[in-house]
Amino acid sequence: MSSSETIALKLNGEVREAAAGPTTTLLEVIRDQLGLTGAKKGCNQGVCGACTVLIDDKLARACLSLAVNSVGQDITTIEGLTENGEPSPLQQSFVDNGAVQCGFCTSGMIVSSHALLQANPQPSIDDVRDGLSGNVCRCSGYRKIIDAVRGVAGD
Amino acid sequence: MTEARYFEPETVDEVVALLAADEDAKCVAGGASLVAMMNARLVEPSQLISLRHVEELQKIELNEDGWLQIGALVRHCDVVIAAELTEGNQVLSQAAGLIANPVIRDMGTIGGSVGHFDPAADYPVALAALGAEIEIAGANGRRSVPAGEFFIDWYETALAPSDLITSIRVPPAPVGSAGIYEKLAKVQGDMGIAMVAVVMAMAGDAINYLAVSVGGCGPTPIRLPDAEQALIGGSVDDAALQDFSNKLVAASDPVDDVRASAAYRKVLIPRFVAQAIDKAKAKLGEAS
Ligand SMILES: Cc1cc2nc3c(=O)[nH]c(=O)nc-3n(C[C@H](O)[C@H](O)[C@H](O)COP(=O)(O)OP(=O)(O)OC[C@H]3O[C@@H](n4cnc5c(N)ncnc54)[C@H](O)[C@@H]3O)c2cc1C
Ligand code: FES
Ligand code: FES
Repeated sequence: MSSSETIALKLNGEVREAAAGPTTTLLEVIRDQLGLTGAKKGCNQGVCGACTVLIDDKLARACLSLAVNSVGQDITTIEGLTENGEPSPLQQSFVDNGAVQCGFCTSGMIVSSHALLQANPQPSIDDVRDGLSGNVCRCSGYRKIIDAVRGVAGD
Repeated sequence: MTEARYFEPETVDEVVALLAADEDAKCVAGGASLVAMMNARLVEPSQLISLRHVEELQKIELNEDGWLQIGALVRHCDVVIAAELTEGNQVLSQAAGLIANPVIRDMGTIGGSVGHFDPAADYPVALAALGAEIEIAGANGRRSVPAGEFFIDWYETALAPSDLITSIRVPPAPVGSAGIYEKLAKVQGDMGIAMVAVVMAMAGDAINYLAVSVGGCGPTPIRLPDAEQALIGGSVDDAALQDFSNKLVAASDPVDDVRASAAYRKVLIPRFVAQAIDKAKAKLGEAS
């Protein structure tokens, strides 16, 4: 393919169509065309973690993923982690623990924490630090974020 | 600007043919380095060749000769847990586990890291210590290049524009060896200021195998096989180690960058190497 064409993405369990050229990132498609603005564009360089999503159950930077290269894969964004339209226990724990300040990092933090808890349901403080080492919070509320993740662990 | 074209070939031959037909074409593995550079407009490939459907590049396989063949598309997260990497060969899984953070480890691939060859990248340091080989498919067929000859200069490798890395081959670990990979970074997940990989085996108090590779302190990983050889048969005594470290410092060619000064790196090398060798010795002690 060359210029923009229609692609079908498996996004949060639904098939969604979008227009993408070879260099269009997944982040541009989900935010600008499909209106899912939970994933944020911070650095666009893979460094900040605000755009973190799951692709085939693995963590990925949406800003470093080409949309065309994600066709056929299961993409889950923060919006897809809600349960029947309600916040998941992890999402609720972020609210209850005051782990959200400006909120810019929150979607990425929750997606990374979700993956961490899948692999390790009862993480230690160090496990959470490791698991979230690719997510930056400029409001610097790390302590409460760790509390939020550990708050749902194993119950 | 004309927009790039996008392909999803299924075989190595098709990839090589596409690369050979256009020298501004780039293959996309994990995208972690390539797409970041595209976003920053540092590269504008004319063609993007996705490797994701090329079956041959995906597997980890123990070859008949005992070497472990790791497909170019194997991700960092899978190298971390590769059970086939035992004894001294664990420097490779340790290095993989210290790359960036869990997200980048889920995305990035060994072929992408080796092909991109950032001078602060982790894999090249471990691969140099292991005497691994880089398997390449190119316009003139397939070839195999030892890590020591593959990494040539700053961002320069033995790859021609139409070459594809198909796999990395790791020799069997020296019998009874232990491996230690260490990385010093400003914060967890950052690229390293310096890295060291040590593979060592001992018989009693005497060293009977040693490979040491230092990264982040010059254009390519530093290895001094003759100096390593001179330590065989001796104990890990301070004077011999100091002499060895001095040779590594002399062979280094660090630069000042955002992470640290060149002078700092030269001071660091001897301490870092001594610490890694100590840890390798301790690990061997635990195992025996
Ligand atoms: C935030 C961040 C932090 C990072 N930190 C570290 C770190 O601490 N340590 C570290 O070592 N690395 C680090 N990296 C780099 C990371 O390991 C990348 O995954 C890796 O360098 C590239 O792998 P990739 O599969 O994503 O390759 P891509 O980005 O897809 O490709 C990179 C380059 O290699 C070429 N290429 C890809 N596959 C092949 C192949 N099979 N044959 C030939 N050429 C090929 C591409 O054409 C491209 O030019 C970091 C990256 C980011 C974004
Ligand atoms: S926007 Fe993707 S990591 Fe910062
Ligand atoms: S809450 Fe503001 S960046 Fe984390």
